[in-house]
Amino acid sequence: MSQPMLEMRNIETFYGPIMAIRGVSLKVDEGEIVTVLGANGAGKTTLLKTACGALDSRKGQVLFQGREIQCRDPDWVARQGIAHVPEGREVFPFLSVAENLAMGAYNRHDRDGIEQDLQTVYDYFPVLRPMREKMAGYLSGGQQQMLAIGRGFMSRPRLLMLDEPSLGLSPALVTEIFDIITRLNREQGLTILLVEQNANVALQISARGYVMEVGGMVMDGTSQWLLESEDIKEFYLGKKDEGVRGRRRWKKRKTWR
Amino acid sequence: MTESHPLTIVDGCDTLPKLFLKKSVERGDKIAMREKDFGIWQSFSWDDYRQYALDIAHGLLALGLQRGDVISIQSEDCKEWLFADMGGGLCGAVVNGIYPTYQPPQVQHALSDSNCRFLFLEDEEQLDKYLEIEDQLPRVEQVFVFDWKGLRGFEHARVQPIEKLYETGRAYGEAHPGQVEDIVSRGDPEDLAILVYTSGTTGMPKGAMLPQRYIMFQMSIAEYLEQVGEDEILTYLPLCHVAERILSAWIPVAMGSTINFAESPETVARDLQELSPTFVFAVPRVWEKFYSRVTTAMSEATWIGRKAFQWATAVGMRRADALIAGKSPGGLLEFQFRLADALVLSNIKKLLGLDRARSLASGAAPISEALLKWYLAMGLPIKEAYGQTETGVISSTLEDRYRLGTVGEAVPGADIRIDDNGEILIRCLGQFQGYLNLPDKTAETLVDGWVHTGDVGELDEEGNLTITDRLKDIIITAGGKNVTPSLMENELKFSPYISDAVVIGDQRKYLTCLIMIDQENVEHYAQTQAIPFTDYRSLCNRPEILELIQGEVDRVNTGFSQVEKVKKFRLIDVLLTAEDEELTPTMKLKRSFVSQKYGELIEHMYTS
Repeated sequence: MSQPMLEMRNIETFYGPIMAIRGVSLKVDEGEIVTVLGANGAGKTTLLKTACGALDSRKGQVLFQGREIQCRDPDWVARQGIAHVPEGREVFPFLSVAENLAMGAYNRHDRDGIEQDLQTVYDYFPVLRPMREKMAGYLSGGQQQMLAIGRGFMSRPRLLMLDEPSLGLSPALVTEIFDIITRLNREQGLTILLVEQNANVALQISARGYVMEVGGMVMDGTSQWLLESEDIKEFYLGKKDEGVRGRRRWKKRKTWR
Repeated sequence: MTESHPLTIVDGCDTLPKLFLKKSVERGDKIAMREKDFGIWQSFSWDDYRQYALDIAHGLLALGLQRGDVISIQSEDCKEWLFADMGGGLCGAVVNGIYPTYQPPQVQHALSDSNCRFLFLEDEEQLDKYLEIEDQLPRVEQVFVFDWKGLRGFEHARVQPIEKLYETGRAYGEAHPGQVEDIVSRGDPEDLAILVYTSGTTGMPKGAMLPQRYIMFQMSIAEYLEQVGEDEILTYLPLCHVAERILSAWIPVAMGSTINFAESPETVARDLQELSPTFVFAVPRVWEKFYSRVTTAMSEATWIGRKAFQWATAVGMRRADALIAGKSPGGLLEFQFRLADALVLSNIKKLLGLDRARSLASGAAPISEALLKWYLAMGLPIKEAYGQTETGVISSTLEDRYRLGTVGEAVPGADIRIDDNGEILIRCLGQFQGYLNLPDKTAETLVDGWVHTGDVGELDEEGNLTITDRLKDIIITAGGKNVTPSLMENELKFSPYISDAVVIGDQRKYLTCLIMIDQENVEHYAQTQAIPFTDYRSLCNRPEILELIQGEVDRVNTGFSQVEKVKKFRLIDVLLTAEDEELTPTMKLKRSFVSQKYGELIEHMYTS
């Protein structure tokens, strides 16, 4: 493993005059699951969009397997082997489940391979199989999330980027989906970059993590270390020292160490 | 101390409460202070100030406060801080300010050492600190909280919102008219007025006892220096630090200045920009920060902007050279400077919020000469004042006399002497009475009426004082050479990339240094140079950043002799905050604490 699967260096991304990401660097090695944590508006989604080419960075590089891919068209980036599962699923509501999955394989021409991967997706997400012909818009939130991940998988990527897969799902479903993500990583050798707010589940399955705040990285380390950090406990896991009164409202200053 | 001190009288008064009652009535509805509430500046007049202070005084009397009892305030700067401070003074209490960044063990020490009876706390956060150590503080009878937010439904026999005290006070005041006036009139300049716990670098903080005459002496100096009059002032350093207390609590009473509370310690730069005060006092760290901001902004400016700035700086520097040499800059140079000011420098002043400042001062820590010269070149002459908790301000550089590097002449009423060890001794009308409960420490510091400052320095033939360093900080290397670390440290801090530095080398073969980087500027540098980093620690460990700092160290080293050069350095890769013990409340690295805590890192510089 000489070079990382994905490396971002000093990325700066703007929305008009507003700098949404101010110099962010990160690294994902092959075969790893890496988590990026952060509150709303921290710039996590922008980061993924910059990586997949949906947004252009004004500064910095995105390296995929050592090759610069920043500021290219998203379809080109996708062809290089990066699949982006966007926040809020974004399945095609008027297409059927099977058509949605076929859209994932849009760039591929190996009929047999596609068929095989389709079966793999149905194996991982058995609930989708009986719904093959159903319009995706009629699926439940959890099923749509599975479909979105399945669609991402259908492009046979080297790197799967997931934007808040736990969004709006029941705790039981979150566990189920994260189990599948772990299996995809282990069994299919998929490298995964996971953006999450649900720090607990995300850090449980990932090896390393980063914490973003107002457009910059404030912390990085192994998931184990992050789970034990005081600030992560208080600000992401909601485990705060309740103090002597048993009901503390004031917030500690974040130190990120 | 048996010797009696000559009195300092300001406006016919010999104590602060007397003067406060007199002046606040005279000034009536003139604005005394402003504080931001939900983003809008709210004004409070001198009448309001007196009324609130009287309510607190009456309230405390109603609760049985006796003359000389101690009240403590633990809060960020806010109007209630001053109300409680002044109110305490009016009823004869001794006021003890506690740093809001203090953690429970330090709070416990400051409260029990001072025998505190009544405690004023800012908010829920400070209250929680108290509740943690409540059972160790049986002497604290009542606790008042300025901001009750988050405490609705909280009930505790000893804890009340400040409004309750105002109410009690109002009722008591109506029933006992004239009592406060009576107490105030019986006040004596020798009465203990406030306790200031000095940020002890070793062991627990010591409580310096400052009498009323100390306050009066500081006011008389303010009158003499004529630096502050009816000015706008920004209050942002902790009020428990004597420098801010002099500036924001006492000088306004004497001179009628208007104080403006910074919204929070983090927003000082913005508040300054918004207010553009006419008098600015800052600690060197703030002046260094402003300088870095300008340097960084200029490095990003357009080509034309950069050239214009370079030209303006060059003109300013030539003018500064002339002024320092005691010459008049001459017509042409003065004309060029006016032009530079109009075209370039005025914008920089606006950026920093110094465009209305007619007077600037630095103090509370040593400042680099190069930095002072840069400000002079910008057309912002900074006066440097010197003093310490035990003496108050006792010297200052004067208007139109640019003796950079010195802290000026002794003010009237203060004598400076250098003893055989080179230590600066001070005797002044306002010196402290000793350390509370520490007769031994007092005897060490106050000898035959002279305060031993612990600073080493020199007096020139004009009587200007130059500070070399702290006596105990002077390094004697293994080779027997005396080195004053602060000289090197100040030069290092002048670098926009270095926020603070501690030079080490006592009993060692060579000098080394621990450096705290300036996060903002170094991050910016990394970003422009495309040096990938994630968090602060990873930034500090980037080889490119180590090289950058090495470059700064090398540059500074060239000005020093072989033994004084720093051979190796390490970066402190933890982002420190005011809550951390490594820093003093004014954000300076504590030498002894840091050398102990990072002992391993230091050893590494001598073994590898």
